[in-house]
Amino acid sequence: MIGRMFSAALAAFLMALPAAAQDTPPGDPAPQLAAAARQVALAHVLTGDPEVDEAARQGLDGLSLELTLRTTVEPGPPLGIDVDQDDLSLLTFLYWPVTPDQPAPSPQAYARLNRFLRSGGVILFDTRDGDVAMAGGPGSGADLQRLAAPLDIPPLAPVPEDHVLTRSFYLLQDFPGRWQGNPLWVEASAPSGDTPPAAGFRTRNDGVSPVVIGANDWAEAWAIDERGLPTHQVGRGIEGERQRELALRFGINLIMYVLTGNYKSDQVHVPALLDRLGRAEADAFADDRFDDRWDDRP
Amino acid sequence: MTGLHFDPALPWPLIAGVAALALLAAAWALWRGLPGWGLRGLAGLAAAFALAGPVIERGVRQSLSDIVILIDDRSASQGLPGRGAQADAAVAQLSAQLSALPGVELRRVTVGDDPDGTLLGTAMTRALAAEPEARVAGVIAVTDGQAADAAMVPASAPAPVHVLLTGQPADWDRRLVVEEAPAFGLIGHTATIRVSVQDQGAVPPEMAASAATLRVRVDGEDEQVVALPRGVPLDLPVEVAHAGQNVVLLRLDPPEGGPVQLTDRNDAAAIQIEGVRDRLRVLLVSGEPHPGERTWRNLLKSDANVDLVHFTILRPPDKSDGVPVDEMALIAFPTRELFEDRIGDFDLIIFDRYKVRGILPPQYYENIRRYVEEGGALLVSAGPEIASVESLNLSPLGEIVPGRPTGRVIEEAFTPLLTDAGRRHPVTAGLPGAPAPDAPPDTRPSWGRWLQRGQIIPKPGAEVVMSAGDNAPLMVLDRVGEGRVALLASDQVWLWGRGFEGGGPQLELLRRMAHWSMKEPELEEEALLAQIGRDLSLTVTRRTMKDAAGPVRITGPDGAVVDLALEPDGPGRFAARWQAPAPGLYTLADGDLTRLVALGPAAPREFEQTVATGSLLAPLADATGGAVIPLSDGVPDVRIARSARSAHGQGVVGDWIGITPREAAQVSGLSRRPILPDWAWLVLIAGLAVAGWLLEGGRLRRSR
Repeated sequence: MIGRMFSAALAAFLMALPAAAQDTPPGDPAPQLAAAARQVALAHVLTGDPEVDEAARQGLDGLSLELTLRTTVEPGPPLGIDVDQDDLSLLTFLYWPVTPDQPAPSPQAYARLNRFLRSGGVILFDTRDGDVAMAGGPGSGADLQRLAAPLDIPPLAPVPEDHVLTRSFYLLQDFPGRWQGNPLWVEASAPSGDTPPAAGFRTRNDGVSPVVIGANDWAEAWAIDERGLPTHQVGRGIEGERQRELALRFGINLIMYVLTGNYKSDQVHVPALLDRLGRAEADAFADDRFDDRWDDRP
Repeated sequence: MTGLHFDPALPWPLIAGVAALALLAAAWALWRGLPGWGLRGLAGLAAAFALAGPVIERGVRQSLSDIVILIDDRSASQGLPGRGAQADAAVAQLSAQLSALPGVELRRVTVGDDPDGTLLGTAMTRALAAEPEARVAGVIAVTDGQAADAAMVPASAPAPVHVLLTGQPADWDRRLVVEEAPAFGLIGHTATIRVSVQDQGAVPPEMAASAATLRVRVDGEDEQVVALPRGVPLDLPVEVAHAGQNVVLLRLDPPEGGPVQLTDRNDAAAIQIEGVRDRLRVLLVSGEPHPGERTWRNLLKSDANVDLVHFTILRPPDKSDGVPVDEMALIAFPTRELFEDRIGDFDLIIFDRYKVRGILPPQYYENIRRYVEEGGALLVSAGPEIASVESLNLSPLGEIVPGRPTGRVIEEAFTPLLTDAGRRHPVTAGLPGAPAPDAPPDTRPSWGRWLQRGQIIPKPGAEVVMSAGDNAPLMVLDRVGEGRVALLASDQVWLWGRGFEGGGPQLELLRRMAHWSMKEPELEEEALLAQIGRDLSLTVTRRTMKDAAGPVRITGPDGAVVDLALEPDGPGRFAARWQAPAPGLYTLADGDLTRLVALGPAAPREFEQTVATGSLLAPLADATGGAVIPLSDGVPDVRIARSARSAHGQGVVGDWIGITPREAAQVSGLSRRPILPDWAWLVLIAGLAVAGWLLEGGRLRRSR
């Protein structure tokens, strides 16, 4: 009798599981999320700190504007995401400013975040402390660790010189935001050049790093107000404006990387591929480095 | 079995000691000049011998019969005309003769068919191993001498091995030899089959000069006739026309006039060449970066067999930011190379949310249209731009895209559904998680929803396989000229990959869509499939978009025709099982669809070599003193031969073969008896000692 009751309870529990795992209740997704899915809207994680959230929104606004002006990507209005509530499966890119007093998301939210990362989403963690971290002051590393520890993050390494992020739209050497000179961390590349990695994000998601981590406070460098004017000062004078431009170029490169994956790293194979198409036998690649003979645009 | 044995009372070293002592004593006596030295020594040796306990052992023997192994080859090649009766008569006569011989036991071993041919050597080795070697008095094989396992023929045997060959001296046979046949071939390339004609046996002189006529049929098309001189290998180029099985049927015309050849079973061959694509070259053109782009990339990059050429329009011509070129990572879209020079090299072109922005001049669209009409494949995965003025439908490609936009983008969530046609169509049939057709309307399908689509009107004749509900086509497939076009009127398939509301099988759907457009045989709508089971059974499956499939007409190798009715087996599938009466080539046909099936080997190994020969078994016969004798001269007598060296010969009435009796016996008991009883030993030793003493005593007396 007890056994039967127990199994009935177990069955009820098991039946309840899928319902618990369901992200959205049946019905239409939130309208702004649905719009984000149609229009590639950029999203930021709401931290609970109004100043930071506002800067993030303005930053994504500025980046969206520049994308629309300069590229074929024309994102919709940015939106703030409550990771405890919202369905992440409609999003592609999340900007996550790290603050000291941000509460850690719930376990269900972490499950959703992990699914988001596994299925091809990208999170940019910004510890926003590039100024003090440089000086050796107390950084937000501990806060980042507290927030990101439950995520399935692969081994990370500073961006190598030939990473796609350095050439997904602009050619970049550094990735400044309001601050500069801090390393940018992405998924570590495979131990040896061409061998296909055994498993992980690399094979599943066109080799796109699920997280990008830095400290340069990009949102404030991208941020604009309603009139389209920058809200935060970056550096000083002409050099500061140059740094803001480079910050925007990094933003554009990052969104291109999120959307097109490693497209630009097979782009370098195209001349060789075209050559190969003409030949019956499969030759080795003659030149697999970036070839800037192609200096025109469509 | 009788012999002297020892049963020593003391350990051997002690007995040896006693014997040595006796010899020493005799030697000392000799040195001292004692006349009784010999007797003294003998007494000592007799004592040592008695201690060793000599016994006589006698066995009780029973003689055993001799075994003669009669190997009866009943493989298929023995079924050639005349050979069966010949073998029957020989076996009957030999059995009778052998049974009449006293003390001869007959062991009959029958060799049947094996997929690898006649395993005569194995059978012989096994039969010899099963009998006690000492009793085998002879081995007689009634066979055509064709063993597929020459290496297994024993090198030697304990008794004469006689080989009686069936067949006639005038036997001859012509056969088709496939020397080289590739199992795989690259589509569009030629595969080379090397064949030759070989004649065996006593070839009639009028045949030796003439060339054979070879008929070649590829995939049931018109046959070609080639004259092929015998013994000259011919390289036959065969164009591998399509993916999947390309069946080449080769058949020799029967030789005209003269004596009839042994069999025509080895005059035909069916060669199946699996057509494979070298590498699939896919051109993916993305009109703008969007979340679904990586879904395409994941699909195409995960396939090691795909060479992906991918271009994304990252910046439209009308936008510019004044950034110097050397700070940009953009490259030109090499449109001329892609759409003019090398368009024919691609197996598939995908337009992914592509907007007509003035990047491609109209003649390039014309090129793409021509490419499709000449057999190319085009996929269009359209986003909201399909409803705009930049729609691909407004370019010259619009004529072949299988859906016309109404100009509306419907921004509401919907569940993609399979249409009735979609449940039958191989591109969408059986997709995991597809809502069942008979499910109650309120059940929640397991596929996640998509959030926007362009409204389209399908072209007449195009197949709508997925929809967003009634009259809302979503995926449309169509054939244009020789080629194929597919249209997906939504760019939201990536939501399935993201797991939105549970997601869906996005990679499988896109993969099948791409491979269908490239004419993958597994995804043909109208297909006649045959799966060969065990024991010549055949499962025939007909896949069709129609509601019924007629009976399949099966034509057997002998020309017999059977109409096989098919039973429904799921949406768009009809199937039946059929048992073939005999191995051979069967042609299945339903309307225009035909399929050639080889059940069992078309030319079995049994019939590779048909003319009887003793060459394989002659070394064994020679080594054992046996003979190789053709049965066409009559069945030889069996005699008892004393010497195994020449166990055959010619008698007055004909040949004879001999068996060598082995006189084997078995010991059923053993008796042991001492040579002398103990008292006799005592008397002997004492007598010798006393005699010696007496002899020496006498000499003493004389000297005194």
